[in-house]
Amino acid sequence: MSPTPATVVAVGAGQATVSAVRMLRRRGFGGRLVVLGEERHAPYQRPPLSKEYLRGDADLDDVTILDESWCGTNDVELLLGTRAERISADGAGHRVHLAGGAELVADSVLVATGVRSRRLPGVEGDRMVHLRDLDDADRLRTLLPGAERIAVIGAGLIGSEVAASARDLGVEVTCLEAADLPLLRQLGPEMAQVYADLHRENGVDLRFGRQVESVDQTASGVVVRTASGEVVEADLLVVAVGAVPNDEFARASGLPIDPMAGGVLVDAECRTAVAGVFAAGDIASRFDTATGRHVRVEHSDNASRQGAVVARALLGLPQPAEDPAWFWSDQYELGLQFVGHAGPDSTVVVRGSVDDRDFTAFYLREGRVHAAFAMDRGGDVTAARELISRGTPVAEAALADEDTDLLDLLDTVDA
Amino acid sequence: MTPESATVEWVAVAPLAELQRRKKKQVEVAGRAIALFLVGDRVFAFDDTCVHKGRSLSRGSLWKGKVVCPGHQWTFDPETGRADDQDDCQPVHDVLVVDGVVHVDPRPRQIS
Repeated sequence: MSPTPATVVAVGAGQATVSAVRMLRRRGFGGRLVVLGEERHAPYQRPPLSKEYLRGDADLDDVTILDESWCGTNDVELLLGTRAERISADGAGHRVHLAGGAELVADSVLVATGVRSRRLPGVEGDRMVHLRDLDDADRLRTLLPGAERIAVIGAGLIGSEVAASARDLGVEVTCLEAADLPLLRQLGPEMAQVYADLHRENGVDLRFGRQVESVDQTASGVVVRTASGEVVEADLLVVAVGAVPNDEFARASGLPIDPMAGGVLVDAECRTAVAGVFAAGDIASRFDTATGRHVRVEHSDNASRQGAVVARALLGLPQPAEDPAWFWSDQYELGLQFVGHAGPDSTVVVRGSVDDRDFTAFYLREGRVHAAFAMDRGGDVTAARELISRGTPVAEAALADEDTDLLDLLDTVDA
Repeated sequence: MTPESATVEWVAVAPLAELQRRKKKQVEVAGRAIALFLVGDRVFAFDDTCVHKGRSLSRGSLWKGKVVCPGHQWTFDPETGRADDQDDCQPVHDVLVVDGVVHVDPRPRQIS
Protein backbone atom coordinates (compact mmCIF):
# COMPACT_ATOMS: atom_id res chain seq x y z
CA MET A 1 0.00 0.00 0.00
CA SER A 2 1.45 3.34 -1.03
CA PRO A 3 1.53 6.07 1.64
CA THR A 4 -1.12 8.80 1.65
CA PRO A 5 0.01 11.56 -0.73
CA ALA A 6 1.05 14.96 0.58
CA THR A 7 -0.32 16.97 -2.35
CA VAL A 8 -3.28 16.19 -4.57
CA VAL A 9 -4.04 18.35 -7.60
CA ALA A 10 -7.42 17.99 -9.30
CA VAL A 11 -7.60 19.09 -12.93
CA GLY A 12 -11.19 20.09 -13.60
CA ALA A 13 -13.69 21.49 -11.10
CA GLY A 14 -16.87 19.53 -11.72
CA GLN A 15 -18.85 16.95 -9.80
CA ALA A 16 -16.13 14.25 -9.66
CA THR A 17 -13.54 16.64 -8.26
CA VAL A 18 -15.93 18.12 -5.73
CA SER A 19 -16.96 14.69 -4.53
CA ALA A 20 -13.32 13.61 -4.18
CA VAL A 21 -12.24 16.79 -2.41
CA ARG A 22 -15.14 16.76 0.03
CA MET A 23 -14.58 13.12 0.91
CA LEU A 24 -10.84 13.60 1.31
CA ARG A 25 -11.34 16.38 3.83
CA ARG A 26 -14.26 14.63 5.53
CA ARG A 27 -12.13 11.54 6.03
CA GLY A 28 -9.30 13.57 7.50
CA PHE A 29 -6.89 14.00 4.58
CA GLY A 30 -4.37 16.52 5.89
CA GLY A 31 -2.31 17.17 2.77
CA ARG A 32 -2.41 20.01 0.27
CA LEU A 33 -5.45 20.07 -2.01
CA VAL A 34 -5.50 22.15 -5.18
CA VAL A 35 -8.47 22.38 -7.57
CA LEU A 36 -7.87 23.79 -11.05
CA GLY A 37 -10.97 25.07 -12.81
CA GLU A 38 -10.88 26.44 -16.31
CA GLU A 39 -14.15 28.34 -15.92
CA ARG A 40 -14.30 31.48 -13.80
CA HIS A 41 -17.21 30.08 -11.75
CA ALA A 42 -16.80 28.20 -8.50
CA PRO A 43 -17.72 24.50 -8.95
CA TYR A 44 -21.40 24.04 -9.70
CA GLN A 45 -23.86 21.26 -10.48
CA ARG A 46 -24.73 20.77 -14.12
CA PRO A 47 -28.05 18.87 -13.87
CA PRO A 48 -30.10 21.98 -12.88
CA LEU A 49 -28.79 23.93 -15.90
CA SER A 50 -31.41 22.36 -18.18
CA LYS A 51 -34.10 22.35 -15.50
CA GLU A 52 -34.69 24.61 -12.46
CA TYR A 53 -31.79 26.96 -13.22
CA LEU A 54 -32.92 27.36 -16.81
CA ARG A 55 -36.50 28.08 -15.70
CA GLY A 56 -35.28 30.67 -13.23
CA ASP A 57 -36.37 28.60 -10.22
CA ALA A 58 -32.81 28.26 -8.94
CA ASP A 59 -29.93 30.71 -8.81
CA LEU A 60 -26.18 30.52 -8.79
CA ASP A 61 -26.10 29.96 -5.02
CA ASP A 62 -28.43 26.97 -5.35
CA VAL A 63 -26.26 25.24 -7.92
CA THR A 64 -22.84 26.07 -6.44
CA ILE A 65 -21.34 23.00 -4.78
CA LEU A 66 -17.96 24.20 -3.57
CA ASP A 67 -17.87 27.84 -2.63
CA GLU A 68 -14.94 29.95 -1.58
CA SER A 69 -15.93 30.01 2.05
CA TRP A 70 -15.99 26.19 2.21
CA CYS A 71 -12.62 26.11 0.49
CA GLY A 72 -11.27 28.62 2.98
CA THR A 73 -12.53 26.69 5.99
CA ASN A 74 -11.29 23.39 4.59
CA ASP A 75 -7.99 24.66 3.23
CA VAL A 76 -8.67 23.84 -0.41
CA GLU A 77 -6.87 25.99 -3.00
CA LEU A 78 -9.40 26.78 -5.68
CA LEU A 79 -7.69 28.21 -8.75
CA LEU A 80 -10.37 29.36 -11.20
CA GLY A 81 -9.84 30.59 -14.74
CA THR A 82 -6.82 28.30 -14.78
CA ARG A 83 -6.10 25.90 -17.59
CA ALA A 84 -3.82 22.94 -17.03
CA GLU A 85 -1.99 21.70 -20.10
CA ARG A 86 -0.25 18.48 -19.18
CA ILE A 87 1.54 16.43 -16.56
CA SER A 88 5.19 15.49 -16.68
CA ALA A 89 7.12 13.18 -14.37
CA ASP A 90 8.87 14.80 -11.44
CA GLY A 91 10.90 12.24 -9.52
CA ALA A 92 8.37 9.91 -7.92
CA GLY A 93 5.67 12.56 -8.33
CA HIS A 94 4.23 14.76 -11.04
CA ARG A 95 4.53 18.24 -12.36
CA VAL A 96 1.32 19.88 -13.55
CA HIS A 97 1.96 22.49 -16.24
CA LEU A 98 -0.46 25.40 -16.39
CA ALA A 99 -1.18 27.65 -19.35
CA GLY A 100 1.06 30.66 -18.97
CA GLY A 101 4.00 28.61 -17.73
CA ALA A 102 3.33 28.14 -14.02
CA GLU A 103 3.82 24.65 -12.55
CA LEU A 104 2.54 22.71 -9.58
CA VAL A 105 4.21 19.70 -8.02
CA ALA A 106 1.87 16.92 -6.94
CA ASP A 107 2.11 13.41 -5.55
CA SER A 108 -1.25 12.54 -7.03
CA VAL A 109 -3.30 14.07 -9.82
CA LEU A 110 -6.99 13.63 -10.50
CA VAL A 111 -7.91 14.17 -14.15
CA ALA A 112 -11.58 15.20 -14.20
CA THR A 113 -11.77 17.36 -17.29
CA GLY A 114 -15.26 16.21 -18.28
CA VAL A 115 -16.83 16.52 -21.70
CA ARG A 116 -18.06 19.32 -23.94
CA SER A 117 -21.06 19.58 -26.23
CA ARG A 118 -20.74 17.96 -29.61
CA ARG A 119 -21.03 20.70 -32.23
CA LEU A 120 -22.86 20.44 -35.52
CA PRO A 121 -20.54 21.80 -38.20
CA GLY A 122 -21.35 25.35 -39.17
CA VAL A 123 -23.94 25.81 -36.40
CA GLU A 124 -22.76 28.99 -34.72
CA GLY A 125 -24.69 32.15 -34.00
CA ASP A 126 -26.13 34.35 -31.28
CA ARG A 127 -29.50 32.57 -31.55
CA MET A 128 -27.97 29.10 -31.27
CA VAL A 129 -27.03 27.48 -27.97
CA HIS A 130 -25.11 24.32 -27.13
CA LEU A 131 -25.96 23.76 -23.46
CA ARG A 132 -23.15 22.49 -21.29
CA ASP A 133 -21.64 25.16 -19.05
CA LEU A 134 -23.06 27.77 -16.73
CA ASP A 135 -22.28 30.47 -19.31
CA ASP A 136 -24.32 28.56 -21.90
CA ALA A 137 -27.17 28.22 -19.41
CA ASP A 138 -27.04 31.93 -18.58
CA ARG A 139 -27.27 32.80 -22.27
CA LEU A 140 -30.18 30.42 -22.83
CA ARG A 141 -31.93 31.59 -19.67
CA THR A 142 -31.75 35.18 -20.92
CA LEU A 143 -33.00 34.32 -24.42
CA LEU A 144 -35.66 31.72 -23.58
CA PRO A 145 -38.40 33.84 -21.94
CA GLY A 146 -38.34 36.22 -24.91
CA ALA A 147 -38.80 33.42 -27.44
CA GLU A 148 -42.17 32.35 -28.80
CA ARG A 149 -40.90 29.18 -30.40
CA ILE A 150 -37.66 27.29 -30.09
CA ALA A 151 -36.23 24.40 -32.05
CA VAL A 152 -34.27 21.69 -30.29
CA ILE A 153 -32.03 19.27 -32.15
CA GLY A 154 -31.72 16.03 -30.18
CA ALA A 155 -34.27 14.43 -27.83
CA GLY A 156 -31.79 12.92 -25.41
CA LEU A 157 -31.84 13.88 -21.74
CA ILE A 158 -30.58 17.43 -22.20
CA GLY A 159 -32.66 18.13 -25.31
CA SER A 160 -35.83 16.84 -23.72
CA GLU A 161 -35.17 18.60 -20.43
CA VAL A 162 -34.71 21.88 -22.28
CA ALA A 163 -37.95 21.16 -24.15
CA ALA A 164 -39.78 20.50 -20.86
CA SER A 165 -38.37 23.65 -19.23
CA ALA A 166 -39.37 25.72 -22.28
CA ARG A 167 -42.91 24.31 -22.16
CA ASP A 168 -43.08 25.18 -18.45
CA LEU A 169 -42.26 28.76 -19.47
CA GLY A 170 -45.00 28.72 -22.11
CA VAL A 171 -42.60 28.59 -25.06
CA GLU A 172 -43.53 26.50 -28.14
CA VAL A 173 -41.06 23.72 -28.88
CA THR A 174 -40.24 21.72 -32.00
CA CYS A 175 -37.81 18.91 -31.25
CA LEU A 176 -36.02 17.02 -34.02
CA GLU A 177 -34.54 13.63 -33.22
CA ALA A 178 -32.54 11.41 -35.57
CA ALA A 179 -33.60 8.11 -33.96
CA ASP A 180 -37.07 6.55 -34.09
CA LEU A 181 -37.78 7.27 -30.42
CA PRO A 182 -36.13 9.30 -27.64
CA LEU A 183 -33.73 7.53 -25.25
CA LEU A 184 -34.43 4.30 -27.11
CA ARG A 185 -31.23 2.56 -26.05
CA GLN A 186 -31.64 3.56 -22.39
CA LEU A 187 -35.38 2.95 -22.00
CA GLY A 188 -36.19 0.26 -24.57
CA PRO A 189 -39.01 0.69 -27.14
CA GLU A 190 -42.00 0.41 -24.79
CA MET A 191 -40.89 3.02 -22.25
CA ALA A 192 -39.28 5.26 -24.89
CA GLN A 193 -42.78 5.47 -26.39
CA VAL A 194 -44.22 6.44 -22.98
CA TYR A 195 -41.49 9.07 -22.69
CA ALA A 196 -42.32 10.44 -26.15
CA ASP A 197 -46.03 10.53 -25.26
CA LEU A 198 -45.25 12.49 -22.10
CA HIS A 199 -43.55 15.20 -24.13
CA ARG A 200 -46.26 15.29 -26.78
CA GLU A 201 -48.98 15.57 -24.15
CA ASN A 202 -47.14 18.56 -22.77
CA GLY A 203 -47.18 20.23 -26.15
CA VAL A 204 -43.76 19.43 -27.57
CA ASP A 205 -43.85 18.96 -31.35
CA LEU A 206 -41.59 15.92 -31.31
CA ARG A 207 -40.42 14.62 -34.71
CA PHE A 208 -38.41 11.44 -35.12
CA GLY A 209 -36.14 10.05 -37.81
CA ARG A 210 -35.10 13.59 -38.77
CA GLN A 211 -31.65 14.27 -40.19
CA VAL A 212 -30.69 17.92 -40.00
CA GLU A 213 -29.45 19.13 -43.37
CA SER A 214 -28.75 22.81 -42.65
CA VAL A 215 -29.16 25.51 -40.04
CA ASP A 216 -29.28 29.18 -40.92
CA GLN A 217 -29.65 32.26 -38.81
CA THR A 218 -31.92 34.91 -40.30
CA ALA A 219 -32.75 38.46 -39.25
CA SER A 220 -35.62 37.23 -37.12
CA GLY A 221 -34.50 33.80 -35.96
CA VAL A 222 -33.27 30.42 -37.06
CA VAL A 223 -34.28 28.14 -39.93
CA VAL A 224 -33.58 24.42 -39.72
CA ARG A 225 -33.92 22.21 -42.81
CA THR A 226 -34.06 18.44 -42.62
CA ALA A 227 -32.81 15.95 -45.19
CA SER A 228 -36.38 15.29 -46.31
CA GLY A 229 -36.89 18.98 -47.08
CA GLU A 230 -38.88 19.92 -43.98
CA VAL A 231 -38.39 23.51 -42.77
CA VAL A 232 -38.60 24.45 -39.09
CA GLU A 233 -38.51 28.12 -38.16
CA ALA A 234 -37.85 29.26 -34.62
CA ASP A 235 -36.64 32.25 -32.61
CA LEU A 236 -33.90 30.20 -31.03
CA LEU A 237 -32.11 26.90 -31.59
CA VAL A 238 -30.76 24.56 -28.93
CA VAL A 239 -28.39 21.85 -30.12
CA ALA A 240 -28.22 18.81 -27.82
CA VAL A 241 -26.56 16.05 -29.82
CA GLY A 242 -24.30 14.54 -27.22
CA ALA A 243 -20.87 15.29 -25.88
CA VAL A 244 -17.21 14.59 -26.60
CA PRO A 245 -14.47 14.07 -24.00
CA ASN A 246 -12.17 16.94 -23.08
CA ASP A 247 -9.15 14.71 -23.55
CA GLU A 248 -6.49 17.24 -24.59
CA PHE A 249 -4.90 17.29 -21.14
CA ALA A 250 -4.87 13.49 -20.92
CA ARG A 251 -3.41 13.10 -24.42
CA ALA A 252 -0.74 15.72 -23.82
CA SER A 253 0.14 13.87 -20.62
CA GLY A 254 0.49 10.56 -22.45
CA LEU A 255 -2.38 8.84 -20.64
CA PRO A 256 -3.86 5.89 -22.57
CA ILE A 257 -7.21 6.72 -24.21
CA ASP A 258 -10.10 4.32 -24.79
CA PRO A 259 -10.15 3.83 -28.57
CA MET A 260 -13.85 2.90 -28.54
CA ALA A 261 -15.68 5.11 -26.03
CA GLY A 262 -13.05 7.84 -25.78
CA GLY A 263 -11.87 9.12 -22.44
CA VAL A 264 -9.03 8.02 -20.19
CA LEU A 265 -8.67 4.30 -19.50
CA VAL A 266 -8.76 3.58 -15.77
CA ASP A 267 -9.02 0.49 -13.60
CA ALA A 268 -11.87 -0.18 -11.15
CA GLU A 269 -10.24 2.23 -8.64
CA CYS A 270 -10.00 4.96 -11.28
CA ARG A 271 -6.21 4.63 -11.64
CA THR A 272 -4.73 5.46 -15.01
CA ALA A 273 -1.69 3.62 -16.41
CA VAL A 274 0.52 6.26 -14.75
CA ALA A 275 1.09 5.67 -11.03
CA GLY A 276 -0.49 8.37 -8.87
CA VAL A 277 -2.66 9.70 -11.70
CA PHE A 278 -6.40 9.08 -11.51
CA ALA A 279 -9.31 9.95 -13.77
CA ALA A 280 -12.97 10.20 -12.79
CA GLY A 281 -16.33 11.35 -14.08
CA ASP A 282 -17.38 11.86 -17.70
CA ILE A 283 -13.76 11.70 -18.91
CA ALA A 284 -13.03 8.30 -17.34
CA SER A 285 -13.52 5.01 -19.16
CA ARG A 286 -13.50 2.73 -16.18
CA PHE A 287 -13.00 -1.01 -15.95
CA ASP A 288 -16.21 -2.69 -14.84
CA THR A 289 -15.34 -5.82 -12.89
CA ALA A 290 -18.81 -7.33 -13.45
CA THR A 291 -18.57 -7.34 -17.26
CA GLY A 292 -14.82 -7.17 -17.75
CA ARG A 293 -15.23 -4.16 -20.03
CA HIS A 294 -14.42 -0.46 -19.85
CA VAL A 295 -17.44 1.84 -19.56
CA ARG A 296 -17.62 5.61 -19.87
CA VAL A 297 -20.72 7.19 -18.35
CA GLU A 298 -21.89 10.81 -18.61
CA HIS A 299 -24.10 11.18 -15.55
CA SER A 300 -23.71 13.26 -12.44
CA ASP A 301 -24.18 10.36 -10.00
CA ASN A 302 -21.45 8.40 -11.75
CA ALA A 303 -19.09 11.36 -11.39
CA SER A 304 -19.90 11.67 -7.67
CA ARG A 305 -19.30 8.00 -7.06
CA GLN A 306 -16.06 7.91 -9.00
CA GLY A 307 -14.82 10.98 -7.14
CA ALA A 308 -15.49 9.09 -3.92
CA VAL A 309 -13.69 6.01 -5.30
CA VAL A 310 -10.61 8.16 -5.98
CA ALA A 311 -10.73 9.68 -2.49
CA ARG A 312 -10.89 6.24 -0.86
CA ALA A 313 -8.10 4.94 -3.09
CA LEU A 314 -5.89 7.88 -2.10
CA LEU A 315 -6.59 7.26 1.57
CA GLY A 316 -6.16 3.50 1.31
CA LEU A 317 -9.75 2.92 2.44
CA PRO A 318 -11.74 -0.13 1.32
CA GLN A 319 -14.17 0.41 -1.55
CA PRO A 320 -17.80 -0.49 -0.84
CA ALA A 321 -19.78 -2.74 -3.17
CA GLU A 322 -20.85 -0.95 -6.30
CA ASP A 323 -24.52 0.04 -6.72
CA PRO A 324 -26.06 -0.32 -10.19
CA ALA A 325 -25.89 2.74 -12.44
CA TRP A 326 -28.54 5.35 -11.67
CA PHE A 327 -29.66 8.61 -13.22
CA TRP A 328 -32.58 10.92 -12.80
CA SER A 329 -34.34 13.64 -14.71
CA ASP A 330 -37.04 16.01 -13.47
CA GLN A 331 -39.52 17.00 -16.19
CA TYR A 332 -43.00 18.57 -16.00
CA GLU A 333 -43.11 18.23 -12.20
CA LEU A 334 -42.40 14.51 -12.59
CA GLY A 335 -39.39 12.81 -11.08
CA LEU A 336 -37.96 10.30 -13.56
CA GLN A 337 -35.33 7.82 -12.41
CA PHE A 338 -33.55 4.97 -14.09
CA VAL A 339 -31.45 2.32 -12.43
CA GLY A 340 -29.48 -0.50 -14.08
CA HIS A 341 -29.20 -1.22 -17.81
CA ALA A 342 -32.24 -2.03 -19.92
CA GLY A 343 -30.42 -4.01 -22.62
CA PRO A 344 -32.24 -5.75 -25.47
CA ASP A 345 -34.86 -8.48 -25.11
CA SER A 346 -36.23 -7.49 -21.74
CA THR A 347 -39.70 -8.23 -20.47
CA VAL A 348 -41.17 -5.02 -19.07
CA VAL A 349 -43.44 -5.35 -16.03
CA VAL A 350 -45.32 -2.24 -14.93
CA ARG A 351 -46.24 -1.51 -11.32
CA GLY A 352 -48.69 1.36 -11.01
CA SER A 353 -50.36 3.37 -13.74
CA VAL A 354 -48.70 4.51 -16.97
CA ASP A 355 -51.72 6.67 -17.80
CA ASP A 356 -51.50 8.48 -14.47
CA ARG A 357 -47.74 8.95 -14.91
CA ASP A 358 -47.23 7.16 -11.62
CA PHE A 359 -45.45 3.86 -12.14
CA THR A 360 -42.26 1.85 -12.08
CA ALA A 361 -41.36 -0.31 -15.08
CA PHE A 362 -39.16 -3.28 -14.22
CA TYR A 363 -36.97 -4.80 -16.93
CA LEU A 364 -36.59 -8.55 -16.52
CA ARG A 365 -34.57 -11.28 -18.14
CA GLU A 366 -34.79 -14.87 -16.97
CA GLY A 367 -36.96 -13.90 -14.05
CA ARG A 368 -34.53 -11.35 -12.64
CA VAL A 369 -34.72 -7.57 -12.59
CA HIS A 370 -31.80 -5.85 -14.29
CA ALA A 371 -33.21 -2.33 -14.70
CA ALA A 372 -36.09 -0.15 -13.59
CA PHE A 373 -37.60 3.10 -14.85
CA ALA A 374 -39.59 4.99 -12.22
CA MET A 375 -41.93 7.80 -13.19
CA ASP A 376 -42.74 9.78 -10.04
CA ARG A 377 -42.05 6.56 -8.10
CA GLY A 378 -38.67 7.27 -6.57
CA GLY A 379 -39.79 5.30 -3.52
CA ASP A 380 -39.46 2.09 -5.55
CA VAL A 381 -35.87 2.80 -6.54
CA THR A 382 -34.27 1.51 -3.34
CA ALA A 383 -35.92 -1.88 -3.74
CA ALA A 384 -35.24 -1.94 -7.50
CA ARG A 385 -31.56 -1.25 -6.91
CA GLU A 386 -31.32 -4.09 -4.40
CA LEU A 387 -33.22 -6.51 -6.63
CA ILE A 388 -30.78 -5.70 -9.43
CA SER A 389 -27.60 -5.99 -7.41
CA ARG A 390 -28.66 -9.21 -5.69
CA GLY A 391 -30.10 -10.80 -8.82
CA THR A 392 -33.01 -12.04 -6.75
CA PRO A 393 -35.46 -14.21 -8.74
CA VAL A 394 -38.88 -12.53 -8.69
CA ALA A 395 -42.37 -13.33 -9.95
CA GLU A 396 -43.73 -10.82 -12.47
CA ALA A 397 -47.10 -10.84 -10.73
CA ALA A 398 -45.53 -9.87 -7.40
CA LEU A 399 -43.70 -6.92 -8.98
CA ALA A 400 -46.91 -5.68 -10.57
CA ASP A 401 -48.98 -6.13 -7.41
CA GLU A 402 -49.14 -2.87 -5.49
CA ASP A 403 -50.03 -4.75 -2.33
CA THR A 404 -46.70 -6.54 -2.36
CA ASP A 405 -44.00 -4.59 -0.55
CA LEU A 406 -41.05 -4.63 -2.95
CA LEU A 407 -38.59 -4.91 -0.11
CA ASP A 408 -40.29 -8.17 0.89
CA LEU A 409 -39.18 -9.62 -2.44
CA LEU A 410 -35.54 -9.47 -1.44
CA ASP A 411 -33.92 -12.65 -0.17
CA THR A 412 -32.99 -11.20 3.15
CA VAL A 413 -34.98 -8.33 4.49
CA ASP A 414 -32.62 -6.11 6.38
CA ALA A 415 -34.44 -2.81 5.96
CA MET B 1 -38.26 15.64 31.28
CA THR B 2 -36.39 18.83 30.75
CA PRO B 3 -38.22 22.10 31.39
CA GLU B 4 -38.30 22.70 27.63
CA SER B 5 -39.99 19.46 26.75
CA ALA B 6 -42.49 20.00 29.54
CA THR B 7 -43.90 22.89 27.52
CA VAL B 8 -44.35 20.79 24.38
CA GLU B 9 -47.92 20.68 23.13
CA TRP B 10 -48.03 17.13 21.84
CA VAL B 11 -50.46 16.56 19.00
CA ALA B 12 -51.93 13.09 18.46
CA VAL B 13 -51.47 12.25 14.78
CA ALA B 14 -52.04 8.54 14.15
CA PRO B 15 -52.43 5.15 15.80
CA LEU B 16 -49.11 3.32 15.88
CA ALA B 17 -50.81 0.36 14.20
CA GLU B 18 -51.17 2.42 11.00
CA LEU B 19 -47.40 2.47 10.66
CA GLN B 20 -46.88 -1.25 11.08
CA ARG B 21 -47.38 -2.34 7.50
CA ARG B 22 -45.89 0.38 5.27
CA LYS B 23 -43.57 1.72 7.99
CA LYS B 24 -44.36 5.28 6.88
CA LYS B 25 -47.25 7.69 6.80
CA GLN B 26 -47.92 11.30 5.98
CA VAL B 27 -49.87 13.31 8.55
CA GLU B 28 -50.72 16.98 8.87
CA VAL B 29 -50.12 19.02 11.98
CA ALA B 30 -51.16 22.67 12.11
CA GLY B 31 -51.11 22.91 8.32
CA ARG B 32 -47.67 21.34 8.10
CA ALA B 33 -47.12 18.00 6.34
CA ILE B 34 -45.14 15.62 8.49
CA ALA B 35 -43.74 12.22 7.53
CA LEU B 36 -43.75 9.47 10.13
CA PHE B 37 -41.36 6.53 9.87
CA LEU B 38 -41.22 3.34 11.89
CA VAL B 39 -37.62 2.18 12.20
CA GLY B 40 -37.36 -0.97 14.28
CA ASP B 41 -39.74 -0.19 17.14
CA ARG B 42 -39.14 3.56 17.15
CA VAL B 43 -41.16 6.24 15.42
CA PHE B 44 -39.47 9.26 13.86
CA ALA B 45 -41.04 12.39 12.38
CA PHE B 46 -39.64 14.65 9.65
CA ASP B 47 -41.03 17.61 7.82
CA ASP B 48 -42.48 15.83 4.80
CA THR B 49 -41.08 18.30 2.26
CA CYS B 50 -37.49 17.36 1.43
CA VAL B 51 -34.91 20.13 2.01
CA HIS B 52 -33.29 19.25 -1.28
CA LYS B 53 -35.96 19.67 -3.97
CA GLY B 54 -39.24 19.64 -2.11
CA ARG B 55 -40.34 16.07 -2.84
CA SER B 56 -42.54 14.25 -0.34
CA LEU B 57 -40.44 12.07 1.96
CA SER B 58 -43.41 9.94 2.95
CA ARG B 59 -43.42 8.68 -0.66
CA GLY B 60 -39.83 7.55 -0.17
CA SER B 61 -38.50 4.42 1.43
CA LEU B 62 -36.66 3.16 4.47
CA TRP B 63 -33.43 1.36 3.86
CA LYS B 64 -30.89 0.15 6.40
CA GLY B 65 -32.36 2.40 9.04
CA LYS B 66 -32.21 5.50 6.83
CA VAL B 67 -34.99 7.55 5.26
CA VAL B 68 -34.53 7.66 1.47
CA CYS B 69 -36.08 10.58 -0.45
CA PRO B 70 -37.94 9.52 -3.60
CA GLY B 71 -36.80 12.67 -5.43
CA HIS B 72 -33.06 12.14 -5.81
CA GLN B 73 -32.34 9.28 -3.38
CA TRP B 74 -30.81 11.45 -0.68
CA THR B 75 -30.58 9.48 2.56
CA PHE B 76 -31.29 10.96 5.98
CA ASP B 77 -30.50 9.87 9.51
CA PRO B 78 -33.91 9.48 11.18
CA GLU B 79 -32.59 10.68 14.53
CA THR B 80 -30.95 13.94 13.41
CA GLY B 81 -32.33 14.57 9.92
CA ARG B 82 -28.77 14.94 8.66
CA ALA B 83 -28.36 14.05 4.98
CA ASP B 84 -25.54 11.63 4.15
CA ASP B 85 -22.69 13.27 2.22
CA GLN B 86 -24.51 16.62 2.10
CA ASP B 87 -24.44 19.78 4.15
CA ASP B 88 -28.22 19.89 4.50
CA CYS B 89 -30.40 18.78 7.38
CA GLN B 90 -34.08 17.85 7.25
CA PRO B 91 -36.20 19.37 10.08
CA VAL B 92 -37.10 16.66 12.62
CA HIS B 93 -39.89 16.62 15.19
CA ASP B 94 -39.93 14.97 18.58
CA VAL B 95 -42.24 12.00 18.87
CA LEU B 96 -44.01 10.48 21.85
CA VAL B 97 -46.02 7.27 21.68
CA VAL B 98 -48.70 7.04 24.38
CA ASP B 99 -51.09 4.10 24.60
CA GLY B 100 -50.48 3.11 20.99
CA VAL B 101 -51.02 6.64 19.65
CA VAL B 102 -48.24 8.60 17.95
CA HIS B 103 -47.90 12.19 19.16
CA VAL B 104 -45.73 14.80 17.45
CA ASP B 105 -44.27 18.11 18.55
CA PRO B 106 -45.49 20.52 15.86
CA ARG B 107 -42.34 22.61 16.19
CA PRO B 108 -39.20 21.19 14.62
CA ARG B 109 -36.43 20.33 17.03
CA GLN B 110 -33.53 22.75 17.19
CA ILE B 111 -30.36 20.88 16.30
CA SER B 112 -27.33 22.36 17.94
